[in-house]
Amino acid sequence: MLDGPRAAGANMQVKNFLAINTDLCTGCRNCELACSMTHTQSFNPKRSRIQILKEEMRNLVVPMVCLQCESPLCKNACPTNAIQENDQGILFVSEQDCIGCANCVTACIYGGIEMDPRTRKAIKCDLCGGDPACVRACEYGAITLVTADDGGYVARREALSLPYRTMGFLVKEGPE
Amino acid sequence: MKFPYKGYAGYYLDVDLTKGKIVKREMEKEWARLYLGGTGVAAKILWDRTSPETDPLSPENVLVVGTGPLTGAMFSPSGRMMFASRGPLTGVWAESHVGGFMGPEIKYAGFDFVILTGRSKKPVYLLLRDGKAELLDASHLWGRETNVATEMIREEHKNPSLETAVIGPAGENKVLYGSIIVDFYRAAGRAGLGAVMGSKNLKGIAASGSLGIEAYDIEKYLEANQREMERLKDPLWKDSLASLRKYGTTDLVAVINEIGRLPTKNHWTGYYEDAEDIGPEVIAEKYRIAQEACHGCAIGCKYIIRVPEGKYSTGPIGGPEYETLMAFGSNCLNNDVESIFYLGKRCDLLGMDTISAGKTIGFVMELCERGIVSAKDLDGIDVSWGNDEAQAELVEKIAEREGIGDILANGVRKAAEHFGGEAWRYAVHVKGLEASGQDPRAHQSIGLTYATNVRGADHLRSLSSLEELGYPEIASERFGEEKAQAILDIMSPTCKGQLIWDMEDLYALVDSAVICKYGTMWPPVYYYSTFTNVIAPLTGMDEWADPKYVRDSAQRISHLRRAFNHRLGITRKDETLPPRLLSEPMPTGPSKGGLPDLDIMLDEYYEYRGCDKGTGYPREKKLRELGLDFVADDLHERGMLAK
Repeated sequence: MLDGPRAAGANMQVKNFLAINTDLCTGCRNCELACSMTHTQSFNPKRSRIQILKEEMRNLVVPMVCLQCESPLCKNACPTNAIQENDQGILFVSEQDCIGCANCVTACIYGGIEMDPRTRKAIKCDLCGGDPACVRACEYGAITLVTADDGGYVARREALSLPYRTMGFLVKEGPE
Repeated sequence: MKFPYKGYAGYYLDVDLTKGKIVKREMEKEWARLYLGGTGVAAKILWDRTSPETDPLSPENVLVVGTGPLTGAMFSPSGRMMFASRGPLTGVWAESHVGGFMGPEIKYAGFDFVILTGRSKKPVYLLLRDGKAELLDASHLWGRETNVATEMIREEHKNPSLETAVIGPAGENKVLYGSIIVDFYRAAGRAGLGAVMGSKNLKGIAASGSLGIEAYDIEKYLEANQREMERLKDPLWKDSLASLRKYGTTDLVAVINEIGRLPTKNHWTGYYEDAEDIGPEVIAEKYRIAQEACHGCAIGCKYIIRVPEGKYSTGPIGGPEYETLMAFGSNCLNNDVESIFYLGKRCDLLGMDTISAGKTIGFVMELCERGIVSAKDLDGIDVSWGNDEAQAELVEKIAEREGIGDILANGVRKAAEHFGGEAWRYAVHVKGLEASGQDPRAHQSIGLTYATNVRGADHLRSLSSLEELGYPEIASERFGEEKAQAILDIMSPTCKGQLIWDMEDLYALVDSAVICKYGTMWPPVYYYSTFTNVIAPLTGMDEWADPKYVRDSAQRISHLRRAFNHRLGITRKDETLPPRLLSEPMPTGPSKGGLPDLDIMLDEYYEYRGCDKGTGYPREKKLRELGLDFVADDLHERGMLAK
């Protein structure tokens, strides 16, 4: 049993996060295209902050994105304090401070932070300042920006159930 | 000079498999400017690098792997790629397109085109990764089915997201309709390009890349994209899109049977009484477990099925398309849908075209019924109508070229020559390519499409859905009120020459861009203006913002492909239909009595295309207008240029 994103010692005031309905996701990767476009001005899914993992033989399509944890494992693991709050209270990776050690990638059990293969620095979802490009790009309505209330927590947890069922993990969610 | 345009990866590869040598080159500016990409550029490459003496399965033949500027550039639906070569099944122009995720990945790996020649001494595969390419040993992959080969390549590189395009045993054994399989169950199926790959001892291509694609004017490009997307989302298309999302192409089994155009009993008729058993509802209700989509696609016509029990039980696989349901189903009078799933799956794993395989088996079923062949000619197999076990046995034999499979692996044209007698009457093909799932006796213009299609009898170079499914608004918008009336009359040959000429040019751009037919063919949303809107801001090629330049470029591509075939001996006499579709009136169903007026349509088509009506050869003036002087000069010397 793993601690959830709202584990004891929560130290972030999180207002919004993305919730993904895995039943609606077709695995088309348009979210990756939109994300890379917004953040790198190029079409480059490998540099996207949201990633679709697939295993075709088992018909698995698993979207992975930062959960905006109240108790962020990535931030706690960063040796240079490169993972910082922006003016909206959302964690982002300061490219100047990141040394590319990938500790955060190892620490995050949700696959929510990854290495940019070009810059070799960590990248994570910053919710595009409140209007996420992936939400707009998803033609199947699989991604929504939800508020951190009871309904939102449930949606976030449901999005996790597929990847964790796949890997055989059970995840605790904090009090609702 | 540095390749100046955006939207492209900017490089192509020249791979000589005989020498094991790879040369990376900058993209040619003129390829992009004059032929855009995909089929257009492939036509230029194949025109330049092959000759009438190039045997399709020899080391000298050239296999082009192509993408286009829109590939992987967030235009929906653009997750596609293509292959082109001189085809082994037909001996003429062959191209085959496929969706999935491989096309975009090739570009992200740094390449727009890969040109393959020669023959490797031992089996190899080509790995493309972040601007680098290498040939790797594939001895351990040879003989493996397509899914296993893909898994093994991924495992070898510890990269589960490596995309692949591989052949199976059928391609290795040079089954003349061997396919190339992308992402497990998407196929560049038609015209036997898998056999060309096999003849080069190339098991496949794998790609992974993080080199992004940039746009010339990103704001303008995204805006133009958005405008096209809004057109696709127009309420007019709500039903078409909902159907594609719910049923994929399986809905066509019901829709097409209703107009009496569903090939049944080796194309004997166009109406199948048991169509419901292999139709959209039963598949959606009983077997469909998920929807899928190709890269960046908003339509999402792909679906996953599972058969929980019975002799054809299977774990999750890609569901069959309309064409597979037709080829192994109605065409062979087989209404056991689970057996069709199985046959489709086997064809994907063995790497061969379901249409040609199903049509070849249907052809043999008819020869058996008519007593032209019997079980003793067929390794003792009872190849009677609807016998799914015989179908399954033949599929395996064809892939291995074992026994009678060695004959059937050459398609209906050559099999008819082998069986002799009256067999040729029942071989339903054009230029050697088995007909796909349409019938000109129920839909005149598809007859012209079959006859003029550069790769043979199928719909994908110029099918018109305007009268097929009835889109009066679009017909009027494109051709004016008066002509629209004639065009919408599905059984009238009037104005069909112009219609198919227009569609062929439109699809030449679709296949060069490279995007999917959905959104252009069905529903018929995208048109020439789509290209005028998006290509210039994406690439920086200003001339592509000019509607006349766009239409001329489409014609340039169409003419170059036609000229490729003329050079191989194709004339008007080859641009015809098989006897069954040309002169046996439709015997049953809603289109009973129907026959196509091919000559009327052909005459009009040649007029619009700028060709001589007697031979089909292009007029010199037309070629020079389009900047195809090198084609005009060559055809002139061969006596194939009309004044």
